[in-house]
This record gives sequence, structure tokens and C-alpha cells, in this order.
Amino acid sequence: MSFIPGQPVTAVVQRIEILKLRDGDNLILGFSIGGGIDQDPSQNPFSEDKADKGIYVTRVSEGGPAEVAGLRVGDKIMQVNGWDMTMVTHDQARKRLTKKKEDVVRLLISRKSLEEVVRQSMMQR
Amino acid sequence: MPAEVKQEQSPSNQTSLAMMQEPQEVVEETVTIEEDPGTPTSHVSVVTSEDGTTRRTETKVTKMVKTVTTRTVRQVPLGPDGLPVPEGSSPLGSYTDSIDRRYMKNGERFITPQATSTLTRSYNNYSDSYNDTPDTQFRHYTLHDGYGDMPDNYGSLSRGVNYRPYRPYMPTGGYRPENSYTLPIRKDDYGHVAQPQVPMGSSTVDLNRSQPERFQPEPYGLEDDRRSLGPEDEEPYDLEPDYSTANRRTLPGRTIREPLRNGPRVRGYEDPIEAELIDERHPYIHGMYPAPLAQPERGSMASLDRMGGRRSPSIDSIRKDPRWRDPDLPEVIAMLGHPIDPVKSNAAAYLQHLCYENDKIKKDVRQLKGIPVLVSLLDHPKAEVHRKACGALRNISYGKDHDNKVAIKSCDGIPALIRLLRKTNDMEVRELITGTLWNLSSYEPLKMVIINHGLQTMTNEVIIPHSGWEHEPNEDSKPRDAEWTTVFKNTSGCLRNVSSDGAEARRRLRECEGLVDALLHALQSAVGKKDMDNKSVENCVCIMRNLSYHVHKEVPGAEKFQDPSALQAPGSAGTQRKKKDDAGCFGGKKAKEEWFNQGRKNGEHDKNYDTLDLPKRTEPTKGFELLYQPEVVRLYLSLLTESQNYNTLEAAAGALQNLSAGQWTWSNYIRATVRKEKGLPILVELLRSDSDKVVRAVAIALRNLSIDRRNKDLIGSYAMRDLVSNLPSGQQRPAKNLEEDTVVAILNTIHEIITDSSENARSLITAQAIDKLVAINRTSQSARETKAASHVLQTVWSYKELRNALTKDGWNKTHFQPIAAGTPKGSKSCKPGYDDTTLPLMEKSQGHRGCSGGDMIPMDELGPDGYSTIDQRDKDSKYKSSDISSDLQEREPLKNDTNRKHYIRSNRPTVSLVDACDVKPQPVDSWV
Repeated sequence: MSFIPGQPVTAVVQRIEILKLRDGDNLILGFSIGGGIDQDPSQNPFSEDKADKGIYVTRVSEGGPAEVAGLRVGDKIMQVNGWDMTMVTHDQARKRLTKKKEDVVRLLISRKSLEEVVRQSMMQR
Repeated sequence: MPAEVKQEQSPSNQTSLAMMQEPQEVVEETVTIEEDPGTPTSHVSVVTSEDGTTRRTETKVTKMVKTVTTRTVRQVPLGPDGLPVPEGSSPLGSYTDSIDRRYMKNGERFITPQATSTLTRSYNNYSDSYNDTPDTQFRHYTLHDGYGDMPDNYGSLSRGVNYRPYRPYMPTGGYRPENSYTLPIRKDDYGHVAQPQVPMGSSTVDLNRSQPERFQPEPYGLEDDRRSLGPEDEEPYDLEPDYSTANRRTLPGRTIREPLRNGPRVRGYEDPIEAELIDERHPYIHGMYPAPLAQPERGSMASLDRMGGRRSPSIDSIRKDPRWRDPDLPEVIAMLGHPIDPVKSNAAAYLQHLCYENDKIKKDVRQLKGIPVLVSLLDHPKAEVHRKACGALRNISYGKDHDNKVAIKSCDGIPALIRLLRKTNDMEVRELITGTLWNLSSYEPLKMVIINHGLQTMTNEVIIPHSGWEHEPNEDSKPRDAEWTTVFKNTSGCLRNVSSDGAEARRRLRECEGLVDALLHALQSAVGKKDMDNKSVENCVCIMRNLSYHVHKEVPGAEKFQDPSALQAPGSAGTQRKKKDDAGCFGGKKAKEEWFNQGRKNGEHDKNYDTLDLPKRTEPTKGFELLYQPEVVRLYLSLLTESQNYNTLEAAAGALQNLSAGQWTWSNYIRATVRKEKGLPILVELLRSDSDKVVRAVAIALRNLSIDRRNKDLIGSYAMRDLVSNLPSGQQRPAKNLEEDTVVAILNTIHEIITDSSENARSLITAQAIDKLVAINRTSQSARETKAASHVLQTVWSYKELRNALTKDGWNKTHFQPIAAGTPKGSKSCKPGYDDTTLPLMEKSQGHRGCSGGDMIPMDELGPDGYSTIDQRDKDSKYKSSDISSDLQEREPLKNDTNRKHYIRSNRPTVSLVDACDVKPQPVDSWV
């Protein structure tokens, strides 16, 4: 999914709610992110548009909260708890996800397969 | 900004340079077809010279006689099918095809196994039974005499026997022996036997054709011919009045008449006729070349073979008839206009052979007006005709004699070649066409003509399809890799040459639809496949390099990106961004981004090179814009890392050099991207290359890259030692023994690096460079080296804070001053406007930089002029000429100073060459 900065984004999104796992002082989501406007977007293996500097899920730990919640590698994170993630630096995204006081993060993610499903179902109708 | 233009490699230089270095036709691909005596097979030798910027291919067919023979033999099995054809020409046609295949391939896979084996077999048989040696040739004849009487014996002979006559020739390989063979007797025999059996219609045609060509110096020969041919032979030959050899003249007449004459007799006589044909062919065969007539022979041979067993001995004897000579040049050229196609094509093939590596013949062909005829044959509908014509043109177009190239051009040969390229699907023909165009493209005045007529066609017909690039890739179509075909290699070589023809040529190529895209795709696939040492890749990179030259001045809309004020100051991120917004399209987003940037924590981040924000694209980049997108940096760096081909390395470094020159937005990006992609260590590594030109290109690239402040810091810290080690020390030069140009380039790079950076000047001192510099300054035989070294020394001395250290090392002011007295070399050669003597006066102190105003003016003047001059000059001279570049060099630092100095030392980390900051401050990927 690509977007043009400054233009409204149309995307098929899915809500995913992840319950953080507490490990001592740390809260664990169980996935890693890549991307951000300060990163080299061309190195992102998941983006369709190589100019896309969005935040992407790069790894999901097995059995972790994220996997349980249905997050998958390659998902693009659109929002975290309502905060836009399409125009943030990598670090901003990381911080947004790791707020100590929040036990739950609600993600809005887009996924290529979702778009395809929607497209297909629309065509069928 | 003219001033900024550092040294760019002028494409023209490069190309022409290449051409010069390897005189125009550097690489020569030679295909020689020979048969060696023992085994009548054809050999193709391919000679390729390494350097070959311009690469020419010539095909040589040597000793056609044998070749022909071989084919014939080979044909034998095939023969029956082809021959029966009612039309005389058809057998010929088939013959031609096979021949073409063989040698047109240019020999790479030249020898056809079948042919060889067949031939050998027959040959062997022959030898065995007769135990012939060249010496015994006469014996054969003797036998022949007996022939007529003893048909049976002959008939029983194996097929090989039929060939027997040739045998003697082949081993000898020379022409003369054959002549000696000539025996009147044979003819007689033949005549008796053959004559009555007049050929069927089809064979007649061939016969006729061949006969005229035959030349018989000896008295007897004529008689025979007459007999069989009849009186009509005497008619003058239209095409070649000069060549009055009776036989020749008869050509047209016979052709026409014979069929009539023979017509009635038809079928029954096939055998004899064929025999006759063979006989007639002989002359050409003897010639050793694929003489024009050779084709018919083949047909006849085939039939002969077919018949062989039952045939009457007369055939053998006929064949032995040696009284033939090779057609001479005017005859061959006249044959190009012969009404029968196979004659045309054979004549062309013969010409190709004659011209091979023979400048004299090429010239003669030109003067005999052979070139227009060949060009006109390009439009001939028959494949073998235009193929052979094209082959001849390729050889003719190869060489230093530009008149040949001009001759091809002036009879509209270039459009004809392009037309044929569009029309034909035959790979061989396409190889020949593109090879010819490549040859033609080495001559400056023809470059634009080629662009005008053929650029888009070559791109559409060759470059794009072979590059694997697709205009609009389908969902399901896999990305294809480039195919390194000969056609692609030739075409890219041609484009490489024409791309050096100045600004207009570059513009045309850049705007040629799909060209840049396809070249990039090809290169990317080369990198992907790790196959980047070949000539095609080299050509592609060179084109890219040339097209990248002056891109910041020449591409449409370049002005928009010229951003003088913001550009020099990479530190002032905010302003730069705003400027960009003004220029373009992405207003909304920019504001946001800026907000983010500001939000980012501290001063560290305000060096905008860390977070280089490229303009976002609303649609995929295409066409010439691809040339300067930061993405190409990675491509060039991959080539620089992986390729073993010096020319490719040089070109890739040159491309980076060109792209990083100039002060427009994109060159800023490029400079930063090279750093971010960890390109600096790669380039520095290449300073140790054994190849002079690679070192030079890399050095100049580093110089341009150091316009970027951070690059300059990095290069100063980590490349200085390698730069210095390339300098000659005192009397003896380093092992590499670099050329003057290279030494000057390195000195200029050092100068650029230490300008405005006393840190870098300090590392220069640490690298033990002063010794060398002083030595060069005092003792070098080269005025350019002296001058460049002197500039460096002056700059070093201008840092007052370093003087202490220098003095401690035993240096004093005089070491750093230009050697004015006694050495005339330095300033004399310089442009008047620029005099070194002013330099010592200027001190590179902070204060001095402030007064850049005065300095700027000269820069502007010099900059552009210097450039254009370089451009022009380079066409002839090898590299950028020293004086000019050094002029530029001196000024350049000044120009940038104004903006730079403020932020310079503010953040100067102890950088490693791979800048930590650049590598991405944050983890690329972080667990949450």
C-alpha cells in the first residue's frame, strides 16, 4: 500500500489489540518494527512502494503477545492507540508502542493480503 | 553554479579517450575461416583485444576454396533434396544458407561437425585409395585421361572419389599448383561426355552463371567453354566492361540464353550438366575465397555427389580442370550487381573476405564505388544477399580510414542499416548491422547521424528487449534478466560511442524513450547475477557515465533544483527544505516532515545529511531522471565492489564523479547517499587499484564527493594515506608509475580535501606527504604536477596553526612557495587569467575566507569556461587538461567556504569512514 504524502490515505485496515506481557519491569509486545521517515525506505523488504517510509512489522516472536493477537510479519502499522504511524521516525514509533503505563496497544494495521481479499470479494459481487 | 562544477568527467573525454587509447577500433574481433590442408574444415579464430573501447569485428574467410569444398561435401547428403528443384537458383540458395551459417557466425562456433566429418571421410577415402600426395597430382590427371574410356572404374569409386579433384588443392592451400594442373585433356574428355548431355533447365541457369566467371588463361580452356556454351558467350558483360576476359563477358548472355537452349533437352541430362557446373565453379574454388561463384558450385557439387556413384568419370576430370583464376576486385564488385542473387551474395562474401585486415582493399573497394552497391544490397529481399553485404560493410567500416565510414554514410548507408535492423529477425544479420554501426560510431562526424537515424530503433529493437526491461510489467510476468548477446554488446558499444558527442547527443540519448530505464535494468540484473565483467556491462556503464555528465546543467528542469544558497550549506537543513518546497510539489508533507525534524532532539540531527529527505515521488521515476536518483549510487557501488573490469570500474567511478559534481539538489543527495551506502571505503579501496585510470577516476570522484562537508572529514581522515601513497616519491615513482594525469588528479583531490580543513591538512602532514609534495614541486618534469603540488603546499602553509609543526619537521616557508625562479614550468603554461603567484599571497585563514566576494567573481568566470573548454578539449586530448582543472580546483574551495565555514567544525565527530551517524542512528529494526 502506498500513499502520497499530504493526500488522504485509503487503506484496508484491521484492528489488532495486543495485551502486553509483563516481564519484570519490562512490557513486552513480542514483535519488532522497521521503517520510519528517518530510515532508508528502499531497504524495507515488505513495502510495496519502495518510497514508503511507514512502520512495518519485521519480526514476530513465536508465541508472543503479538502473534497471539494476530499480528504478522510485513504488516504495516497505521496507527497505535490512535496515533498516526505513517509519518513518524523509527524512534517515535518505538516510543509510542512502549509506553510503560499502557498495558494494551490497539493497532490499526494494513496488510497486503487484506487488500486482496477485499478486492476479490468486491469483484465477486 | 559554474563554480561548483568540479571536475566532472566529460563524457566525451571518456569515450573518446577510450577510443584514443585503443585507437578507434580497439577491440578487434576477428573471425578467420580457414581450412587447413589436412582436414578440410573451417577454422574461425576470434581475436579480441582487451582494451577495446571501440570494438570492431571483422570476419575473415580464408582459403575459401577449401571452405567451399567442405560445404560441398557436407551438402552432399543434403543435396538430393535441394538440387532437384526445378529452378536453377534454388540449389544455390540452399548452398548459400549453409555457407552463411558457417562463416557468418564469425567463427565462434564455426566448424560444422558434419561438414568436417563428411569431408574428411571422403577425403580419406580418396587418399587411401589413391595414396595421393600433392606431388602426385599429375598422376591424377593422367588417370583422367584415361577416364573417358573407363567410366566403370570411376563409377565404382566411392563418393570420395568425386572429390578427388579437389584434394590436391586443399592440401596445397596455394593457388598456383592448381594452375599447373590444368590439363587440356580433361576438358576434352569432359566435353565429349558432358556436352551431349545438356542440362536440365534448372542446372542450366547455374551453369551459365558460373561459366562467365571462369577465366581461363590457358588456351585450351576457352575452347571447352565455347563448346558447351556456345557462341553467345562472346557478348559483352554489361557490368564490367573493363574486364574483358572473354568468359566474363559472356555471363549475362549465357544466363539468358542457356535456359532456352537447354530447355528442350531437360531431364535426362542432369548428371552431365552438373558436372559441367562443377567444372565451371572451379575457378572460384581455386580462389580459395568464397568467391561469388562458389555458391553455384555447391549446388552442383551436391548433385554431383548424389550422382557420384553412377556418374561418369568425366566429372572428376572436369573438376580437376584448374584453369581458373580468382576474380579481381573490379570483377567482384561488378558481380555485386549480377542479376542472380547467389552471385551477389557470394561476391559480397568474397569482398568481406578480401577486406579483412586489408586497408588497401578497403580503399580500393571504395574507389571502385563498391560501397554504394553494397549499401543498396542491404535492402535486398533475400536474406543471404543482405547478410553478406552487411558483412562486407562491417569489415569495410572497420579501420582507421575514416573515408570508408564516410563513404558508407554518404550513400545513406546508415539509414539503410537501420531499416534492415528494423526488418530482420535474423540474429546474425543483426549482429552484423550493429557491428557495422559500432564501427561507424567511432568516427565523430557520424555520431550525430547515427543518433538521428538509429537511436530509437536501436533502443527499441535491441537495447530494450535484450535488457529484460519492460515498459509496463504485467502482474504475472517475471522480471527478466538482461541477455548479454553480441547484438546487445554491439549496440551498446555504438551508443557508448555516440554518447560522447557532446551535449546535444547526451540530450538525445537521455530523452530517448526507454533507453536509460533499460540500461539501468540491464546493469541491475548484471549486479544481481554477479556477472559484471563483460563488455556489455562495460558499455552500459560507460553510457550511463556519459549521460550523467553535466546532468545538473542539461536536464530539463534542472534550474528548479539549483539551489545555490542552500546547497553549499548542508548544515542549514531547515532552509534547504523550505527551498525545496518552493520548488516543488510536495508542500504539505514537507511541512510535516520539517516538524518532525525539529521535534527531533538536539543539534546532532540538524545536519541534514543524516536524515536526507528525498523529494517524494508521486509516480515512479523514469527516463533520464533515473540517472541521478540516489538509488543509482548503490548500483555503481556494487559495480565498484564486484567488477574486475577496469573499464567498468573507471566508468562507475566516473559516473559517481559526474553525479556528485555541481551544486544542485540531486548532487547533494548523491554525495550523502554515497556516504550512507558506505561507498567511501569502497572508493578508497580502489585507490590501490593497479589501473591508472581507475585510480584517477576514483580520485576525482572523491574530490567531488568532498564537497559534502562530512564526506570531506571522512575522506581526510581515512583516505589521505592511500592518496599520498599514490604520489611519486622523489625521483622514483611508486611501483604503479601513474600517469601525469592521475598524479595531478590526486594532488587536486588532496588540495580539495585540505581546503577549509586544517584537520585534514594535519592528517596530510601525518601521512608524510610533505616530503613527496616538496619533491614533486621541485623536481617533477611535469609542469602540471608541479603546479598542483605547489597549490597543495601553499594551502598547507596557509594554516598558521600548523606552521609550528612544520617548522619542527625542518620545513620552512620556502618549501611551500611555488618555485618561481628557475622553474619556468609552473605558471607559464597556465592560463593568463589565473596566476599562481597570487596564491602565496592569500592566506587560508578564516579571515581570508570571508572575503570570498572577490574570489567568487573569477570563479564564475573561469568555471564555465573551464568546463566547456574541457569538454571540447577532451574530445581530442585524453583527460581533462591540467591547467584548467587546477584552475577550477583552486577556486572552488573558496566558493564553498562562505557557507560552510560556520558549521564546519561544530560537529566533527571522530568519524570512521563509514560514518556512524549516517548508518542510521536508530536501529533499523527494534523489538517492542
